[in-house]
Amino acid sequence: MRPQLLIHPVSDTADASSAPAPVPLRSVRRRLQASPARELWAGLHLSGFDPRGLEPLASRAQRFTPRVSLAPPDGLLLEVAGSLHLFGGLAGLERELTGECLRFQVRPVLAFAPTPLAALTAARAGRALHITDPAQLVSQLAPLPISALRWPEETRARLARAGVRTLGAVLRLPRAGFARRFGVAQLAMLDALIGRTREVRPLHEPPVRFRRRQELDSELSDHQRLLAALTPSFDALGAFLTARQRGVAELECRFVHRNVPATHCVLTLAAPCSDGKQLLALFAERLNALQLPEPVRALELRADQLPPQRSPCRGLWQAGELGGEAGAGSEELIERLRARLGPDALQGLEAWAEHRPECAWRATRPPPLAPRRPPAARAMPETPEEPAARPLWLLPQPQLLDSQAGLPRRRGALRLLSEPERIESGWWDGEEVARDYYSAMDRYGVRLWVFRERAAPHRWFLHGVFG
Amino acid sequence: MAVGDPKITRLLEHPAIWRGRSAARRTGLSTGFAALDAHLPDRGWPRTGLTEILVSRFGSGELTVLMPALAMLTRAVAARWCVWVAPPFVPFAPALAARGVLLDRVAVVAGARPSDPRTTADPCLWAFEQTLGSGACDAVLGWMRRVRSRDIRRLQLAAERGRTLGVLFRPRTAAREASMAVLRLGVEPLPGGVRLTLLKGRSAQRGVLDLRWAGSVPDPGGCGS
Repeated sequence: MRPQLLIHPVSDTADASSAPAPVPLRSVRRRLQASPARELWAGLHLSGFDPRGLEPLASRAQRFTPRVSLAPPDGLLLEVAGSLHLFGGLAGLERELTGECLRFQVRPVLAFAPTPLAALTAARAGRALHITDPAQLVSQLAPLPISALRWPEETRARLARAGVRTLGAVLRLPRAGFARRFGVAQLAMLDALIGRTREVRPLHEPPVRFRRRQELDSELSDHQRLLAALTPSFDALGAFLTARQRGVAELECRFVHRNVPATHCVLTLAAPCSDGKQLLALFAERLNALQLPEPVRALELRADQLPPQRSPCRGLWQAGELGGEAGAGSEELIERLRARLGPDALQGLEAWAEHRPECAWRATRPPPLAPRRPPAARAMPETPEEPAARPLWLLPQPQLLDSQAGLPRRRGALRLLSEPERIESGWWDGEEVARDYYSAMDRYGVRLWVFRERAAPHRWFLHGVFG
Repeated sequence: MAVGDPKITRLLEHPAIWRGRSAARRTGLSTGFAALDAHLPDRGWPRTGLTEILVSRFGSGELTVLMPALAMLTRAVAARWCVWVAPPFVPFAPALAARGVLLDRVAVVAGARPSDPRTTADPCLWAFEQTLGSGACDAVLGWMRRVRSRDIRRLQLAAERGRTLGVLFRPRTAAREASMAVLRLGVEPLPGGVRLTLLKGRSAQRGVLDLRWAGSVPDPGGCGS
């Protein structure tokens, strides 16, 4: 079978002309009109479920679709028409949804229908219907009992006296008479049930921040045990971030003590992260450096800033292979080093156009491992201009050397190897230097970079090692 | 067995067959010195694994030996970082640039201070192992005074995990200790060059090699003494 249209034009019909298999524009238009947002709702009936668990379950269920609606006390509705192909159709989605509910220790009755109320009613009637065709909606709903609509007891009793026990029988009643006897609200509900009017449901808004407080059974001071106690919180954080497609850039943990104020521990990340396990590993490094004044009786994990998370793009080649990149490991390495050794753990180097050696370099932020354009990278190292002119090592502070008869000494007399190089600069910023630099060799054959001050005492200093 | 047989020759070219020195294929990273390349087991520095460089004195020329290889690594298309873990002094950026190293691939782990001997976990060693195993580095250079052979083994495994060339600079006295490193090289200064002693290498000939820097006078005359 040949595909008829490979690129779906969204708004601009000009896109259709670039499709590989040309299609008449008229058919594209018709298809666009013929596919309005046809909805498919999944209704979940959770019998015996704690109503307080409904919101967390709804937040979890947002990984299937952004349109989740609560139907308290024991129902949940998801609009899944757009998600079906992501989970392998109805069967796959049903399996995943059931699995998610089982994690909350509840076995759901799951029904699919084109209207939210129909899906919920079918689920509440205990019938796992799969109604995908709106034309079959009424006939499929007809045998269901009226009690699934949860109308008031008195209404149900009156309907029962009239011999009306199923949805099909209710739907067959004359509209005007039904509205007069049982109320307009009930008629509107029937209209929403079969899709005659469109029901607009309030959607579940997930919390915008993550807070989780955990009281400990016993007071803990051991870091390993604290970490073990924190693990469920980090699992919950990871699930929360995944469901919301957010990362966390700053994470705060409060350790509550009995007598003294709570200890705060803040983990700051270079790039947003949404992996609970990775966050826990980073936090473990941070925790190792933390001194706790007292045993901990409660833990609270907070994440307020939740920037959107871009899904990682993995390359075909492994890092280090020809054509491979190493971007993934680099961020993680920076985080690990920072967590343990402080914010400046990893630095880049930059050469700076300055004559004074101590000003000729700067520490920068760690260089990003961005891929290079090949021509720039392939350029072979040009012949070094003056390979011996500058040492590979610079001492952070020049080190004063002994001198004898005007010549420097360091573990014996130093032999000067080069003509002096005069560096006289910096009069404008108060760090003026006036020095004569020499390359020198000590008696063990190590090449050093020394200078002699031009000012009065003419002291000798060691400033570098050629390495 | 006829060595000249083309079938056997083709078979022996399979990368899974390791033939020690007789294999003509270069698997190592060229050092930039032809004489040293010929001396080393893989025709160059091992691309993966830990290399130990033992010096009697800091600054004997051990870094200069490494410079051409570092320059080559930082210039590759898919270059990863060259990380210097806890260097004893400041790596001088203009000198690195003059030797062909691209500074946008060089990073320095600066925060690690050698801890007091009472605590068991050395932050330098930890940072070295993490960096080696991260997979984000082509080469990791570390300076460590006291490393136990158990730690060397861990560093070697981390280097293999991260497919990284790890270079550990140690005092010459450590030559007596056993080591898991792929390659151990002693470096001593010579006027205008270095003397390299191959202490350990996979099926490599032991021996001493004198290396002269290009453009250096064999015995430069002093101008002040």
